[in-house]
Amino acid sequence: MSITAFKSIARYVVSIFVIGVFIFPIAWFALTSIKPISAVFNKDRVVVFDFKPTFENYKVTVLGAFKSDTQSNSTVLMGTSGKGAYDGRGAIMSSLIIAICSTFLATTISLLAAYALSRLSFRGAQGYMHWILSQRFLPPIAIIIPLVFIFRDLGLRDTHLGIIIAHTLINIPIALLILKSFFDDVPIEVDQAAMIDGATRFQCFYMVVLPMIKGGVAATAVLCFIFSWTEFLLSLFLTNSIRTVPVKITTFVTSTGSEWGYISALGTAAIIPGFIFILLVQNHLVRGLTMGAIKD
Amino acid sequence: MASVKITNLDKAYGSVRVLHQLNLQVDDGKFVVLLGPSGCGKSTLLRMIAGLESVGGGDILFDDVRVNSVHAKDRNIAMVFQNYALYAHMTVRKNMAFSMRLNKTDKKTMDEKVNWASSILGLDDYLDRLPKELSGGQRQRVAMGRAIVRDPDVFLFDEPLSNLDAKLRVQMRTEIKDLHQRLKTTTIYVTHDQIEAMTMADEVVVMRGGYIEQSGTPMEIYDNPNNLFVAQFIGSPTMNILECQVVEDNGTNYASIDNTRFALPANRDLNVGQSVYYGIRPEHFNVSKQSSSDDNNALTGVVKVVEPTGPETHVYLTLAGQELCAITRDRLELRPGDEVQLQPDLSQVHVFDGDSKNVI
Repeated sequence: MSITAFKSIARYVVSIFVIGVFIFPIAWFALTSIKPISAVFNKDRVVVFDFKPTFENYKVTVLGAFKSDTQSNSTVLMGTSGKGAYDGRGAIMSSLIIAICSTFLATTISLLAAYALSRLSFRGAQGYMHWILSQRFLPPIAIIIPLVFIFRDLGLRDTHLGIIIAHTLINIPIALLILKSFFDDVPIEVDQAAMIDGATRFQCFYMVVLPMIKGGVAATAVLCFIFSWTEFLLSLFLTNSIRTVPVKITTFVTSTGSEWGYISALGTAAIIPGFIFILLVQNHLVRGLTMGAIKD
Repeated sequence: MASVKITNLDKAYGSVRVLHQLNLQVDDGKFVVLLGPSGCGKSTLLRMIAGLESVGGGDILFDDVRVNSVHAKDRNIAMVFQNYALYAHMTVRKNMAFSMRLNKTDKKTMDEKVNWASSILGLDDYLDRLPKELSGGQRQRVAMGRAIVRDPDVFLFDEPLSNLDAKLRVQMRTEIKDLHQRLKTTTIYVTHDQIEAMTMADEVVVMRGGYIEQSGTPMEIYDNPNNLFVAQFIGSPTMNILECQVVEDNGTNYASIDNTRFALPANRDLNVGQSVYYGIRPEHFNVSKQSSSDDNNALTGVVKVVEPTGPETHVYLTLAGQELCAITRDRLELRPGDEVQLQPDLSQVHVFDGDSKNVI
């Protein structure tokens, strides 16, 4: 066997292995969501494919059917809970509202701030950047107690607006950092050319530089969305009745056992909005949008 | 179109002064080149004229109107940058029409102007392409098109050809000059390339360290440099400079180095023992293979390197321990190691003071 053939086979083996490592948990999770409880909890062997698929878990968590209505088909009974306790629709809606709003806010605020930090010189600009970055040095758990009190006093606790603000604030430093580096990649002469052409500073930003970094904006929005969509700690502490998907899923771990079927069903369903969001923006996730502006 | 006048212009970044009390007059319709090495302040000066840098002190006047605090967008200037600075997300057409779009020109006028500019610049076939689909030269033409559609009072060019390859640079040089002759717009052009300056300018302004060293027509500057810096900066191959002492022999002054004597032009105010720089351009030597006994100013050098360029041959040689360059249009068939005779053209010899380095 020639070395090139060996290399090419090795490349495939390694890539399949790496993909497998990342795909397996998700695939197993998704598989669990359509297994009957008997297949999930088979003591004798691991059931991989030889089970009769059921969509009961989705009916309960995503379509809002009551658990008691669907249990007639199950062979193993788990603990009972209040009607609608496993309905994930409200949580998905809350998560969507929070993720979309906080992504929009964090990206918009960071865009304006990043442009200013990249283009305008003002006293303390450098220190300002460090200060913003330092906001991410602390683990969120360290600020959670004061944050709970502040949000309670402001009447923001257990409101959508509260979590939107919390997620926006957490996302701004990282979004700002990413967007600033994209702005920095656009040569300042482009702004100056636009200004000489008669553009105001805002027209410069809006009509010239922003379209040139829209790939970066899309990437930043994806990161903000994913953070907000998967964020657990702040949502847990800042809410009681409003539940985001990650927090909702933890309530499926009950005193009488963990509802693995529901956990995996809502978890699998929760992948979908993020996936759709990324599909929508991925057209813009292409590099080299600034190509041609300057001599490369 | 406008004239540009600069009086006592100063600029400092923190404690570093980059421009010192500059005075400059650019007449309406003239093509002026700011020439100097990196860091001489020429780009800063251009950017101050554009309104992209604040004025430290002094005044900038367009048609005798002070524009120090007028915003760049209101100065009615157009600028072409070294790196083109095109709007990458817009087609060539949109790039060129951008300024007209901002001041809400009607579509018909916009199309007319874009078509006019693209036909001048040979961009007709590329109007709907994005900048990334163009070559370097085409991009630079788009940048120029963007400038000319505005019908500006003043054109500013900031080293626009530095990023192009040698052949294209020569071609674009001619195009820019041709464009200026057609449009007759006042133009200020920054470059560190003295060939560009010589070939394009009505007037060359040589700068160094934030000062203007000399300004004048290209030939004035070439033929009569004010000081050693200008003499060496202009001309390629550069002027031969020899550090000499003035000696006297039979009532005649000579510049002497290593016991070799160079004849000096008459009527120069020189003292015996004074240290001077003796300067002569390579083409002002007469190179011959045989010694001509009738000229006692002739010098003998040993050929080191011969560079034929076609119309002329550059001969690098050693004379009195110094390296010199001479240019001849004769086909002498010289080889390294050959001895040659050099006769300097005395009317073309420049003498600079050893201390002040100014011309004597």
